[in-house]
Amino acid sequence: MAEIALHASNISKFFYDPVKIPVLKDISIDVNKGEFVSIVGKSGCGKSTLLYVLSTMDTDYTGELNINGTKVTGKSLNDLARIRNSSIGFVFQFHYLLPDFTCLKNVMIPALRLGKLSYKEVEEKAYEKLKMFGVEEQALKKANKLSGGQQQRVAIARALINDPAIIMGDEPTGNLDSKNTGIVFDLFQKLSKEYGQTIITVTHDEDFANKSDRIIEMTDGEVSSHGK
Amino acid sequence: MKINVNTEIALTYLLSRPKQTIVASLGVMFGISMFIFMQSLMKGTNDYFEKSSFSSTPHIKLYNENIVANLHLLNSLPNDNSVKILTNPKQVQQNQGLTNPYGIINSLYKNPEIANITPQVTAQVLYTSGSVQITGTVAGVNIVEEDKMFDVKGNMQQGNFLDINRVNNGLLIGKGIADKLSLHVGDNITVRAGTGSAVIMRVVGIYATTIKQIDETKSYASLIQAQNLLGKDRSYVTDIKINLKDYNNAPKVARDIETITGYKAEDWVHANEQLKAAFKIRAIILNSVIGVILLVAGFGIYNILNMTIYEKIKEIAILKAEGFSGQAVTSIFLQQAIYIGLMGGIIGIIVGYLVTLMVSRIYIGAGTLKYLPMSFYIPHYIQAISFGILTTIAAGFFPARKASKVDPVTIIRG
Repeated sequence: MAEIALHASNISKFFYDPVKIPVLKDISIDVNKGEFVSIVGKSGCGKSTLLYVLSTMDTDYTGELNINGTKVTGKSLNDLARIRNSSIGFVFQFHYLLPDFTCLKNVMIPALRLGKLSYKEVEEKAYEKLKMFGVEEQALKKANKLSGGQQQRVAIARALINDPAIIMGDEPTGNLDSKNTGIVFDLFQKLSKEYGQTIITVTHDEDFANKSDRIIEMTDGEVSSHGK
Repeated sequence: MKINVNTEIALTYLLSRPKQTIVASLGVMFGISMFIFMQSLMKGTNDYFEKSSFSSTPHIKLYNENIVANLHLLNSLPNDNSVKILTNPKQVQQNQGLTNPYGIINSLYKNPEIANITPQVTAQVLYTSGSVQITGTVAGVNIVEEDKMFDVKGNMQQGNFLDINRVNNGLLIGKGIADKLSLHVGDNITVRAGTGSAVIMRVVGIYATTIKQIDETKSYASLIQAQNLLGKDRSYVTDIKINLKDYNNAPKVARDIETITGYKAEDWVHANEQLKAAFKIRAIILNSVIGVILLVAGFGIYNILNMTIYEKIKEIAILKAEGFSGQAVTSIFLQQAIYIGLMGGIIGIIVGYLVTLMVSRIYIGAGTLKYLPMSFYIPHYIQAISFGILTTIAAGFFPARKASKVDPVTIIRG
C-alpha cells in the first residue's frame, strides 16, 4: 500500500450567512504520495471550499485533517503557517505573484521564509526551478512584466521551492489559453510522474481532469465518486 | 549579506513607491526638526533668563529675618504654673547682622554642593550730589568673589572694579545712578546710611546690568567701607551669598542651611517665582505644539500604511498562503513604518540642527541680548529621534495589525 500524503476524515463545514447552509457534508478522502488528483464538480458544489480546508488556510470546519501523518486540525495559526510554508505549495487561478519583486525573488521568498538554506543556496535552487519550467530568461524581470502563461509557470516554480509534500492548485489553468494549459498540465504530470510529487487540483477543465491519475467528483457538498 | 526576508519585503515595498515613502518621511522630518528647533529655542531662552537672573541674585541668600514674638522666654520661667497668653504679637527687630559670619562661612564650605560663598553688608543709603538726592543701597562686598559669582567685570562700563579695594572710599555705581546724578569716574558723591553720618565717596567705576532697577539704586563698596557707613564693627555682615555647583539643587540645600544655621536661607527659585512660572508655561506651549506636529506626522504614516495595505491585500493573502504567519506580516508592515520614521528622523535631525544654527544668527539687539538665544543640546536630538520613532511605531501598529488579520481564504477566493 502506498504512503498517504493527505488524510481527511468526516470534514463538514457550514456557511452561516445569511442562513446556516451545509457546504461540506462529512467528507473523507485519502490522497497517496505521488498521486495527481483532480477534484471536479459543478460551480457551488464546494470543491474550492474543500481545497481551502485541505490547504489549512480555512480552519472553520469539523472533522480531522492529517498531512504527511501529522494531525493539523486544532493547531494554532502560527503552526499552520509553518506547515503551509514547509509542506504545501499553492498555484492559484490568477497566478498571484508579488508584482514589486522579480520572478526570482518571488520564487525565493517562501524558501527565505523557511530559512533552512542560505541566501545563496536559495537563489541557486530558485534559478534551477525556473530553468525546469523554461522561464529562467525572465528571472530578473519584474513579475508583472510577464505573460500569463509565464507567470503561471513562475508561480508553479514558487510552489515547488520548499519541496512540499503536496501541491494544491485552485483552477491553475482557469485563466490560460489552451496552449499554456497544455504546458502547465505537462508540468504537473512531469512533477507527479518523474519527481513523485503529490498534486491536488480543483478544476473545471474536463480534459485536464481526465488526464490526471484520479478524479474526485463532488456534488452538493458530498463526494459522489472517489474515482478509484 | 544575510538580511531577514521580512526586512527585504518591507524594503522592497518602500522602494517600489518612492514618492509615497518620501512624503511620509517628510512628515516625520518636519515633526522632528520642529521639535529640535523649538526645544533649542526654549532651552536657549530659559538659559538666557536664568543667567540674567543669576547676574544679580545668588543661588541662595542667607540673612537674618525678623521673627514674630513668641512665648519661648516666658514659658522657660522656673516654678511657674500660670498659662501665658501673648495677644497681638509683633515682628521683633533682630540685631541686623549675622552672628559669627566667618564661622558660618567656614562650616558652609564643608558642604560639597557649594561652589562659592561671599559675605555682604547691605546698607540703605541716600546718594547726594549737588542738590539732588536719590535713595539706594550700598552693597559692601569682597569684589573679587563678587566678580566670580556675578561677573561684575563683564558689566563694567567705565573704570576698574578692583579700584574699590584700592581707592579709599571708592564706590562702584550703577549706570542709572551715574545718569541721574550726572557722575563720572573720579567724581565725588555723598553717601549717607540711615543711622550713620554722611561720607564723601569717590566714583571709581560705573557698571550696567540688564536690570534697570538695579542700575538705578545699587552701588558696590568694599566690605569695610560699608561697615563704616553703618558705623558697625568688622564682624558685621548682613547677608551671605552662596552659589552652588548645580543651581537646581538650591531649594534642598537652602533647607539644609536653614536647619544648620538657624537663619533664613532664600533660594533663587523662591526669589524668582515668576521666572519659574514662565518656564513652565513655555514648556506647556512647546509640548503641545510638538505633540500636534508629531500627531499629524503620525496620522500621515497611518494613512499611507493603511492605503498600502488596501492595495496589497491580495499580496498579503498570498504571503499568508505561502506560510507567512500573522507575526511575520505585522513585522513587514511595522518595519516599513520604522524605516519611514528612521529616515525622517535622521533627515529631521540634520534639518533641525541647520535651522537652529540659522536662527541663532538672527540679530535681536535688545539690551544685552544680541542674537536669538539658541542652545545646542545633544539630549534634545536623542529625544527627538526617539519620539519620532515611537510615533511611527504607534502609527504603524494598527495598520500592521490589520494586515496580520487578513484572512487569505476570503481574499483569494474573492
